[in-house]
Amino acid sequence: MSPKARPILNVAKLVKRFGGFHALDGLSFHVVPGEILGLVGPNGSGKTTAINVISGLYAPDGGEVTLDGQPIGGIASHRLVHRGINRTFQVPKPFMSLTVRENVQVALSHGRPAVAPPSVADLLDEYRLTELADRPASELNSAQQKMLDLTRALATRPRLLLLDELAAGLNPAELDWIAGRIKALAASGMAIIVVEHLMGFIEHITDRVIVLNAGKEIFEGKLAAAVQEPQVIEVFLGGEHAA
Amino acid sequence: MLTYALVAGVLFGLYFSLVGIGLNLVFGVMRIVNLAHGDVLMLGAFIALGVVTLAGIDPLFAVPLAFIVFLLAGLLLYWVLVPRLQGSVNPEMLSIILFFGLSQVIEAITTIFAGTSERSIQSRLLGTVFSTIKVKWFGGKPGPAGPVQIFGQGFPAPWVIAAVTSLVAIGLVYLYLYRSRLGTLTRAVMSRRDEALATGIDVDRVSAAAFGIGLGLAAVAGVFAPFMFGSVTPAFGADATVTSFAIVVLGSLGNPLGTALGGVVYGVCYMLVQTYLSSWADLLPYVLLILILLLRPSGLLGRQVRVA
Amino acid sequence: MPSALKHTLFILAPLVIVLAVLPGVYQNHLLLFNFVIFLVLAQGVNIIYGFTGYLPFGYVGFFGAGAYGFAIMVMHLQAPALLAVLAAGVVGILLGLLLTPLLRLSGAYFAIANLAASLAVLHLVANPALESITKGPYGVSLTGTFNPNSAYMAAVVVLALTVAAVVYLKNSSFGLALQAVREDSVSAAMAGVNVVKMRVLAWLASALVAGLAGGIYAWYVSVFYPDNVFSGEFSIFAIVFALFGGVATITGPIVGVIILYGIYNLIGFTTPQYFQLIYGLLIMGLVLFLPAGLVSLATRRGWHVP
Repeated sequence: MSPKARPILNVAKLVKRFGGFHALDGLSFHVVPGEILGLVGPNGSGKTTAINVISGLYAPDGGEVTLDGQPIGGIASHRLVHRGINRTFQVPKPFMSLTVRENVQVALSHGRPAVAPPSVADLLDEYRLTELADRPASELNSAQQKMLDLTRALATRPRLLLLDELAAGLNPAELDWIAGRIKALAASGMAIIVVEHLMGFIEHITDRVIVLNAGKEIFEGKLAAAVQEPQVIEVFLGGEHAA
Repeated sequence: MLTYALVAGVLFGLYFSLVGIGLNLVFGVMRIVNLAHGDVLMLGAFIALGVVTLAGIDPLFAVPLAFIVFLLAGLLLYWVLVPRLQGSVNPEMLSIILFFGLSQVIEAITTIFAGTSERSIQSRLLGTVFSTIKVKWFGGKPGPAGPVQIFGQGFPAPWVIAAVTSLVAIGLVYLYLYRSRLGTLTRAVMSRRDEALATGIDVDRVSAAAFGIGLGLAAVAGVFAPFMFGSVTPAFGADATVTSFAIVVLGSLGNPLGTALGGVVYGVCYMLVQTYLSSWADLLPYVLLILILLLRPSGLLGRQVRVA
Repeated sequence: MPSALKHTLFILAPLVIVLAVLPGVYQNHLLLFNFVIFLVLAQGVNIIYGFTGYLPFGYVGFFGAGAYGFAIMVMHLQAPALLAVLAAGVVGILLGLLLTPLLRLSGAYFAIANLAASLAVLHLVANPALESITKGPYGVSLTGTFNPNSAYMAAVVVLALTVAAVVYLKNSSFGLALQAVREDSVSAAMAGVNVVKMRVLAWLASALVAGLAGGIYAWYVSVFYPDNVFSGEFSIFAIVFALFGGVATITGPIVGVIILYGIYNLIGFTTPQYFQLIYGLLIMGLVLFLPAGLVSLATRRGWHVP
């Protein structure tokens, strides 16, 4: 990856308020194609809010989000999907009464137009859902629902993928496997933002991390360097992620 | 004329608060819209009729009777219906249909026993207990109480009695919610149902109590319905449900005390429209309900609960 | 054979053919007509409730508005019946457009607001102040266009179109997207589905079929009052028939209408309150014991039900 590559996503001085609470308070960062960027920070530091704003769930209250240099703040989610942004959810919300296959089919037929779209069978196969293809999503366990959520996102052919705690709850073997998948996606040119509490996982897959606290960036760089920073240590110490 | 409409509006409004408050309590706690609410009101009216025709006493005595009967009926119904419902895929939608079915059953049974004719009670019978007491203790001539004078205008005594009873009932609901242990738990369930479950509150007990009290309050409101609306039929329930819903939404769904405000606003609007635009008065509850839902979905006071 | 073709050949075609020839062999024309109307309304409810999850408690509003659209075209513009039926469909769509803001409401709020909307339309139409346009509460008489046989055939055509629409929903990515929106609108948006557009289209489609049905009903009966064509029973019957059979399927609402409306007419209650009682108990039993309808008896065993 060239450090001079043009960012696909640029976030500048982003503000999001809920009532009087500033969930995001002037957050700025960017991500380039092929890069895996980690967003870390204690609970309530604004990681998921950032993902929700970028994916169009919330309109920002200030600052700017641009995709390929075009402002996208406040644009409806499905339009952003068509322009190449997608995400997974911390708590996956598949279409419960539809089958696994239908879940993916919806995203495939309404996602970003592509010259050579992937097939449902290939996608299901890649994320180990083939056996479950004809079962309703409500019968899946939570790890399987996470994989379905990821498959749903990938079926729309995203260029920028936001993963909100995808790894939480997976066993070590599954973690290794999914880390490999994420790296392969990045190698194909996709920009990926990962929100995660598992520091080992973050260290293993990310090129760079942004440490958030109270809706602001307090560090940017390699995770190994972050844990040397007194400010970062202070934020995490006493928090539940100190270990 | 304006003074008359405003005072009558406030009297009716207090009564309307009582009409809606039970529906709101049930919704706030259980997230269930009781579409049989209006039918319970109608049954309350029939209890008043029964007290007058069978016992020949002041229909005010129907107030405690209606409350207790429907408190118990509510507890019973809760345990029969609700657990099964909450185990299903889509309890909110199914509860609407279930309680609609219940309202049909109530209306049908009442029709079978009472027929479809309009029933009314002579308004001078309401409050005779007061004049009897007055005669016994202070002397004077027995006889029906005349109109009550407010701001120099006469209002039918039943309106005032219904308004005062409503105020007392709302006060008691306030005491229950803010001064009793079960009431405190009820408020906890209303604000965060999931967390209440997680903290080990017996949500079923709280909900059953709220359901019973909600039905009891509806029946009490029903006792006054023949006096406020002139007469009742078994089919009165459906309209009463929509009206109650309008009142509740106007105040704020899930906030029983907001209903007091909703009721008064509704009552004043109702009387103003009756006075100045009477041919359009029928449209009021429906148009008001839709406008409020669309323009101010959280009600006049209240938190956000409903937008998809 | 693609399943859309199968559904057309084995469900839609037989249903329409049987209903088209039945008047030749069965005497009770009005009963057959009512069957067709309820099949249309139950499928209309299926489109909006089964596929998108909005419970239309005031569905009759479109039906009644359609009936009055027909009546006004005939009374004031001397329109021929078929044109007036089309106008009834347009009235249904216009009312649907007017009520699209209600789609912002969810669950019970939508159901009640929709009920209130239908009652508002009823009180508007029945208002004596509008007597010169709607004849207010005094009802309309359209003897000039009275023609039960043509009206019946028009109803069968509308039924064919409605069932065809449901076959399309059941077999298209549009229908699948609608169901995705019903299950979770946020995830649906993240699958690239234009949630608002999908909902509005389904809503207008179900408003259209109810408007057409109302217009044809007015044509068939020719004399009616506001309380007849805005009777809450149309909404309730349509919802219960659809639910009883099973929504989000093609066959469910059809089976529901044939069984429940069939039983209703077989027993032939002379006292409506006994019917209402049995009906209420049936609704409660349905919710408590068979919430996904008759078809769930089959799907629970792993059989596929179209």
